[in-house]
Amino acid sequence: MVALTELTEMYADMVTARHYEERLQEEYLEGKQPAFDISAGPIPGELHLAAGHEAAGAGVCQHLRDDDTVTAPHRPHHVAIAKGVDLKRMTAEIFGRETGLGKGKGGHMHLFDPDVSFACSGIIAEGCPPAAGAGLAAKKRNTDSVAVAYLGEGAIDQGAFLESLNFAAVHDLPVVFVIEDNDWAISMPKERVTDLEDGSKRADGFDMPGRRVDVDDAVAVYDAAREAVGRARDQNGPTLLEIQVHRRMGHFMGDPESYRPEADQAAAAQRDSIERLADDLRAAGTDDAELEDLRAEAEARVEEAIEWAKDQPKPDPAAAHEDMWVNPPSGVTDSEPDFDLAGGED
Amino acid sequence: MAEEITRELTMSRAMVEAIAGEMRADDEVFYMGEDVADYGGIFDSTEGLREEFGYDRVMDVPISETAYLGAAVGAAQEGMRPIAELMFVDFFGVAMDQIYNQMAKNTYMSGGNVSVPMVLTAAVGGTYNDAAQHSQTLYGTFAHMPGMKVVVPSTAYEAKGLMHNAIRDDDPVVYLFHKRLMGIGWLPAPDGPKTPVPETDYTIPFGSADVKHAGEDVTIVTLGLHVHRALEAAESLAEDGIGAEVIDLRSLVPLDTDTIVESVEKTGTLVVVDEDYRSYGVTGEIVASVADEAVGALDSVERVALPDVPIPYARSLENEVVADAGDIEAAVRRTQ
Amino acid sequence: MSDDGDRVAVTLAEWPDDADSDEGVVVNWFIRQGAAVDPETSLCEVQIEKVSVDVLAPVAGTLEEIVVSEDGEFARGDTLAWMDPDDE
Repeated sequence: MVALTELTEMYADMVTARHYEERLQEEYLEGKQPAFDISAGPIPGELHLAAGHEAAGAGVCQHLRDDDTVTAPHRPHHVAIAKGVDLKRMTAEIFGRETGLGKGKGGHMHLFDPDVSFACSGIIAEGCPPAAGAGLAAKKRNTDSVAVAYLGEGAIDQGAFLESLNFAAVHDLPVVFVIEDNDWAISMPKERVTDLEDGSKRADGFDMPGRRVDVDDAVAVYDAAREAVGRARDQNGPTLLEIQVHRRMGHFMGDPESYRPEADQAAAAQRDSIERLADDLRAAGTDDAELEDLRAEAEARVEEAIEWAKDQPKPDPAAAHEDMWVNPPSGVTDSEPDFDLAGGED
Repeated sequence: MAEEITRELTMSRAMVEAIAGEMRADDEVFYMGEDVADYGGIFDSTEGLREEFGYDRVMDVPISETAYLGAAVGAAQEGMRPIAELMFVDFFGVAMDQIYNQMAKNTYMSGGNVSVPMVLTAAVGGTYNDAAQHSQTLYGTFAHMPGMKVVVPSTAYEAKGLMHNAIRDDDPVVYLFHKRLMGIGWLPAPDGPKTPVPETDYTIPFGSADVKHAGEDVTIVTLGLHVHRALEAAESLAEDGIGAEVIDLRSLVPLDTDTIVESVEKTGTLVVVDEDYRSYGVTGEIVASVADEAVGALDSVERVALPDVPIPYARSLENEVVADAGDIEAAVRRTQ
Repeated sequence: MSDDGDRVAVTLAEWPDDADSDEGVVVNWFIRQGAAVDPETSLCEVQIEKVSVDVLAPVAGTLEEIVVSEDGEFARGDTLAWMDPDDE
């Protein structure tokens, strides 16, 4: 049994994430009509939205503390929300504003919030090695922090992932690798690029537990993650999880998805982890009015973040040249001591 | 008299026409990459090829750059003619060993006994706010390491002729196409890259820079997207009586130093414009190459390139670091 | 002189199924005004929302007049250009 408070928290994260993506989609498409122009509108660059992935974010991060590290891939918002990343500053970053998490330098694929140990990267599987490194730090310092690396099912063929599995396994690092399987690597269906239906079986070759959560269900994810995170926190080593999720929007905004069968799109739209969790909450005694309140609160929070972000100043162009270093270019010193290296010779 | 060409193509269509032509002519030519089959390439680099040639010759591959770029090296060494695509040049990092320790070096290390007849294609460039990991050109990185011919088309005409040469060449060729020049609806190109393209096949030699605009007062050397920005600057400078000669390098390796030196000997002034990082890169190399050959001819030099920072996301920041026509014009005026 | 009665309108024959919008944009013209083309030659590329589609020459003839130029918007059914068909 999952405690009602935990179900409620997960539900709040999930409806926040869903509404967030739907609202970002609207904002992003503004100025992109009648023809889609990636350079137009209030949100710069590419945008990879995670509607349909919410259970994987909430079900895992429900077990995490602020000092537990999470690395996410290019589709990061739902994980960031579940990890507790500052929603306003994340949104400001996505809108390319000065008060964003990265002062408008990083963008939506490159969000960093050290307050809750969250980071993401736009290169496939490249969050895996740093997650292993966070686990290594926890082990060396003998803390009970853990690290979680999220990746897509397309990323399980990438060297960075496979090398990280071995690295984490051989050093017994407190890391959980979470594969979000949405069946599609952009236009490439899973079976075309990976000769393995269940990605969690990759764990077998590295002598670590692997488990697939076959339904897009937050409670099932929560249960699987409890075991995996617990194992890491107890310093018993890494685990690989695969979670079936669904890609309800395109790979990126602007993806015509002409390669994708309509039946597949329709199926992704129907199996909804949020509705499933709502049913669980009702079964646990939450009434519809309370669910509606949770939704309304989430929506208000999202609206507030978006309004705040859009109100923030755009970065001063001169700031493009700042933030290259933390120390001065010369390092920790700008002077060199005067030694007599000639040993007294003239 | 030369044949009049009334058909114009976008750069992507010209590139695809060359690939399709080579695939029809030679069964051993095939294309590998992520999203190159059903999607037709994220930047339209393979649009329509899967429909004609099927999945066996237009292969979607796992997200395993080390494996498929290395497999291209291996297949090429067997005598096939693979074309392998990095969706974004920025992704080279995950597979660099196969590129620079194998593809680039095997011919030399074998004393010329092994050849690697492959093409590595990659989308390059920014200007659409895709930030630090998806906006680089990395021209200098590839050109720096010996063993790769590095070509950069700036128009459809060049895209086709350079691609025919790249596929037929028995050496590895890195073919870097700028996203902003491809003529994709959702990523509108400037005026210029869409050009008349002959239906017949033809090859453009590497190492032959093209004078895109003649002038007497200043030599602007550039490549890729910035050819068009330099031409825009040249138009504006002409209104003030400053004659800018715009040289499109078309390839970095080999480098056509002769055309540049000849121009600088005429103008005395060199402005190098690059979308890659400033330090240890294309601009420094061009200036040094001219200095080697004709230091006495250089009265004035300017470099226009990305300052040495990763490419930022917000529009105001990216516009600050990627030079536009105004920045090129200002650099030219500083030399006058 | 040809009047509209002799000219053939160039339109997008099939509007994309999944498009909600009734408007599009001409992205690229491939044939210059005044050039002769074979039927089914790709004359231009249009984009409706996120989908791009080629518009083909309906007949053999000369591309007499481009009505909607590059970056121009058009609505479903609009004439994008006029062709002067070859004599039978």
